[in-house]
Amino acid sequence: MLTVIQNIILFIVLILAQVLVLNNIQFLGFINPYIYVLFIISLPVSLPRWLTLILAFAMGILIDVFSNTLGMHAAAAVLIAYARSFIIKLFTSIDEGNNPTPSFHTFGVGAYIKYIFVMVFLHHATLFYLEAFSFSHFWLILFKTLLSSTITILIILGLKSMSRR
Amino acid sequence: MRNLFNFLIQYSVLILFLILELISIGLIVKNQEYQKSVFLSSSNSTVASMYEMSNSVVEFFKLKASNETLSDENTALKNEIIQLRNRLETIKPISKDSIRFRIPPEMEYKFISAKVINSSTNKLQNYITLNKGIRDGIKVDMGVVSDLGVVGIVKTVSDKFAVVIPILNDKIRINCKFTKSNYSGPLQWTGFNYQFASLNDIARHVKFALGDSLVTSGFTNTFPEGIPVGTIDNFNIKESDPYYSIRVKLAVDFRTLSHVKVIDYKNYREQRYLEQVATEK
Repeated sequence: MLTVIQNIILFIVLILAQVLVLNNIQFLGFINPYIYVLFIISLPVSLPRWLTLILAFAMGILIDVFSNTLGMHAAAAVLIAYARSFIIKLFTSIDEGNNPTPSFHTFGVGAYIKYIFVMVFLHHATLFYLEAFSFSHFWLILFKTLLSSTITILIILGLKSMSRR
Repeated sequence: MRNLFNFLIQYSVLILFLILELISIGLIVKNQEYQKSVFLSSSNSTVASMYEMSNSVVEFFKLKASNETLSDENTALKNEIIQLRNRLETIKPISKDSIRFRIPPEMEYKFISAKVINSSTNKLQNYITLNKGIRDGIKVDMGVVSDLGVVGIVKTVSDKFAVVIPILNDKIRINCKFTKSNYSGPLQWTGFNYQFASLNDIARHVKFALGDSLVTSGFTNTFPEGIPVGTIDNFNIKESDPYYSIRVKLAVDFRTLSHVKVIDYKNYREQRYLEQVATEK
């Protein structure tokens, strides 16, 4: 019950932070961190996958409505929500029946950083290529993806290492 | 039948995933086709009023800079009034019976001031939301300028809000010309830096120098002639190319944009109609 309430609060706080603060931060003019993926990243591991997908879709659509990019964030968020369980299986060995929340503690530092890196990069790449809707700016967008995901990953790691649990 | 159900249950997550992705992609494609649908974009009044609230806080921090530009503009305007009044005085006695003044029809426009309540500079297709709409007289295709220069063109309007496509969007081209040589070409954004755009249609024989200024050409119905667009920042030409590629530093700083003016061109419909008739026949 406690985790449910925690996640609801995280959902609201991340949307507000993304829409009201982070969408206005454009470091160097085009680097824009999208930390709302932290919500999808830190859902409990054995949450039913259909629920993960629906939550990610809701999150994405809400961000879309606020930033005038209908469908883009939703598509990227649903993609990483689907890929999540595979990525977790790839990097960690968590027993059936256990239901940890992903963090440095439960995954181990190395595995957790790898997990975050893959999730954020996948999300940002999908988002930026969908935004351009063509491969004509391929290298420019790859560069943008790398820079933005670096900033997002740094912010997420910073936030995570502050909360001691 | 049982097999079908088993299949559906086994792959339910994958199917849900595909459905959600299809909805998202559908929304994106639909949006690209019809431009921004007013519904669910930031013209949507609940979202826009929330932005207005957050903006009322942010605007406070920008007050100083916008006050300065306002007062600069005020003095410029006052000077102009004095100049014009003086000129009027000198003309008056002669004009009484011989000459009747008539404003040239392409100069008959007025400004509607509006405030920016949402904008972005970091995407490939940026949009700006204004707090004025149909009830303030804003219509689709009107030009938008700030005190410093050209901002963009109105794309959609709702009752209270309007969405503008700024120069910082790869879907828009603005026709501009050199102040010195009057040679014109379309300006397009490069998609990377919010300060620069590129001008690629200037032929080899045209002479210009770094720092030359560009203004609107007046060949479209949206902008009158002579509104500043930017200055030439850098250019190069390959031996084999017939055209220069020119980097233009934009006159408007889109990151600090807060007050804009929408151009209401009075003879827009008349000119448009006449041009349409001419091309049809």
